[in-house]
Amino acid sequence: MSSTKTQTGAALAQACWNCKAVAGGGHFCAACGKIQPLAGGADYFAFFGLPQKLKIDEAELEQRFHQLSWKLHPDNFVKASEFERNLALERSSELNDAYRALREPILRVEYLLLREKVRKEGTTKQQAPPELLEEVFELNESLDELREAKNDGADLSELRGRLGEAQKNFQEKLEEVDAELLDVFSEWDKTVDAGADDAERHKQMAKLNEVLNRRSYIRNLVRNVAQELEA
Amino acid sequence: MGKTVGIDLGTTFSLIAFVDPSTGEPRCIPGPYGETLCPSVVSLDANGTIVAGEPARRRLLTQSNRTIYSVKRLMGRGVDDVRDELKIFPFRIDDKSRGVIRVKLGDKYFTPPEISAFILRELKSWAEDFFKDTVDRAVITVPAYFNDAQRQATKDAGRLAGLEVLRLVNEPTAAALAYGLHKQRRGRVAVYDFGGGTFDISILKLISTTEGDIYQVLATNGDTHLGGDDIDNALSAMARAEIEKKYRVDFEKHPETVQELRKTLIHTKHKLSSGERATIRFVLPDDRIYTREIRRGEFEEMIAPIIARTMAPVKMALADAKMQPSEMDEVVLVGGSTRIPLVRKTVGDYFGRAPHSELNPDEVVALGAAVQADILESGVKNMLLLDVTPLSLGIETMGGVVAKLIPRNSTIPASAQELFTTGVDNQTGIDIHILQGERELAADCRSLARFQLKVPPGPAGLARVEVKFLIDANGILQVAARDLRTGEQSTLEVQPSYGLTDTEMERMLEESIEFAEQDFEQRQVIEARNEADAILRATEKALSGVHAEGLSREERAAIDRSVAALRETVSGTNYKLVRTRIDELNQATMNLAEMTMNKVLQAAVGGKRIEEL
Repeated sequence: MSSTKTQTGAALAQACWNCKAVAGGGHFCAACGKIQPLAGGADYFAFFGLPQKLKIDEAELEQRFHQLSWKLHPDNFVKASEFERNLALERSSELNDAYRALREPILRVEYLLLREKVRKEGTTKQQAPPELLEEVFELNESLDELREAKNDGADLSELRGRLGEAQKNFQEKLEEVDAELLDVFSEWDKTVDAGADDAERHKQMAKLNEVLNRRSYIRNLVRNVAQELEA
Repeated sequence: MGKTVGIDLGTTFSLIAFVDPSTGEPRCIPGPYGETLCPSVVSLDANGTIVAGEPARRRLLTQSNRTIYSVKRLMGRGVDDVRDELKIFPFRIDDKSRGVIRVKLGDKYFTPPEISAFILRELKSWAEDFFKDTVDRAVITVPAYFNDAQRQATKDAGRLAGLEVLRLVNEPTAAALAYGLHKQRRGRVAVYDFGGGTFDISILKLISTTEGDIYQVLATNGDTHLGGDDIDNALSAMARAEIEKKYRVDFEKHPETVQELRKTLIHTKHKLSSGERATIRFVLPDDRIYTREIRRGEFEEMIAPIIARTMAPVKMALADAKMQPSEMDEVVLVGGSTRIPLVRKTVGDYFGRAPHSELNPDEVVALGAAVQADILESGVKNMLLLDVTPLSLGIETMGGVVAKLIPRNSTIPASAQELFTTGVDNQTGIDIHILQGERELAADCRSLARFQLKVPPGPAGLARVEVKFLIDANGILQVAARDLRTGEQSTLEVQPSYGLTDTEMERMLEESIEFAEQDFEQRQVIEARNEADAILRATEKALSGVHAEGLSREERAAIDRSVAALRETVSGTNYKLVRTRIDELNQATMNLAEMTMNKVLQAAVGGKRIEEL
């Protein structure tokens, strides 16, 4: 059994648990077709046979998800051995986890950065981006005034108007940062295509992380204002 | 290997269905009364025998303290969860039950899975009588919004009833499957499932692929304690208040009257689904009569708050699916409570389209379960269900805050890994508390299980244990831990917060085998009796025919003796003796059978069943 495709060393070395042939690193053994255990440290992009690029055709990803679901879902293994049932359970859960992580752009870049250890789970910098400091300061003051006015039962219309404006302003900023994020996505994808070295990759990822943090900060602002206005 | 079936284990009624190989269509199996609906009621006889279904329902009126209904409300719950319901439902619960609830029937205690198992066993016997074959595997449906403990309890019930549970399927998803099969639907479908005790909403996408149709659930929400029961209780509360005030009846002293009143009011509720008004007429314990007319408008005013409670989950499910009500291509109604005109109107108005209800809303879930059972059993796959977990899964972290690991509405199977280490030197265990729910604080979420990871003593932070949380295709959690330094898989003693422990399960399985033996005996008696009746009828018929004249005096006397002997034993419970007497009569009538051209007789004495002709 030989494969002409270039595979990672780890995947190539793995022998099929059933026929002992070189399994080929896919979901099923290339020789006997039996489902294979997951290799450690799996990459969700690779699970779908995709490069680590951030611009993904979501319709195509969904189609791959459905194709793999037909093959890997536990429904297919009801009559298989307990060992194979467990492999199918692991692999189909990995499929669903991978699809959940990649289907939306923000979750996708978060996954990439977490995997490459550029980002830590559950940590987003809650520092205001320097260029927004002044506006954020004003916004927070207005929010405080609104809360106070609510407590005092004072007239809210002027404050509401001011906050509404601020909300619109930050909503626009959110759209800008989203556009910026897409640009950084493209740059990253070029880096992947070019097979760039680690230094270049890390430079790009640091940039991705910075834009992502800024976006999450602005999105939280927009959300908080919306909540205060509704309440 | 026996047959595989689909079962809808409902709050009020349960059904069992299979896919008819001759038509490829699912259908429900009727019970001895010809009804496909089996009341989810269980009763314990004075002599310790369990009855389930219709006979048990009749006992609700006469032996209410030995009979239980709506046990589904107690599945996978603890005593503290159900305090409010105890005010409304006549459950007699062991107040000291820790973890799993224990319910008293007569003088014995049972857990909810055991009681549900009696209902499953009853349904299983319907199917076994129907197939004349054993039934040992099943797909059982559960409300989509059931949590891990409620699902595990349902699976335990299946096992106690002698069924291998191939899969738990969410009720609205099963309904969508039955509907999809029925009409070859495509697109976005909202399934509004308002049953006897539970409410579910599921938003699905039906996709055609080259391999077949995929039913992908995008989002689900619901309330596992909201259903037709609540409507019955609202009507009861109204009538009780009026009766107490006007007739000074003390319901505390008349538990049977409460049940009888409830039954009368359920009937009233049904009448108000088709008529504009209904009259309640109820005989009180002292023979006075409470009579009252109720208009549909008044009824609707009374139940509007209950129906309004279904709309919050509907909105949340749509928001999670990132969809607008108007974007649905179909809206499907499931569950008996969707027969209520106000429910249909509320749902229709919200989605801006007339909802579908062509299939019998009582049967559609069981039919879908049968389809899924057939898919799993036959391996012929042209349909695939991709369901989701209804609630987020998390673990308790510092300060009682929940860290979410698997978000709600994740396609299942789903998993998450988490790395744990020690906080102080020479710590030998790490406590882990698993929770389900959407709230931030552990105290506000549902506790699923607690366990302790054992680690070898060492400096703080040295231990590295990876715990894998995996929700399987049934929506049930599995936990595995691996020590990253040794690569060893640790064994976990997971103590379910509201489930049966392995030891309890073992004991119950042993007991359930005793019940199974009892059942087997009863079945044998019934079958022998039926056969005896058939042969007695056939013999009588043959004896009155012309061919009987050809019998010798001795032959005739032998037949008469055998008939008398069989008649004597047939009403008893010694089925072995009945079988011997049947054989004797068969011997005695051999000559008569040969002489008689009557096919029915020949078939009957030949041991064949009449219906096989």
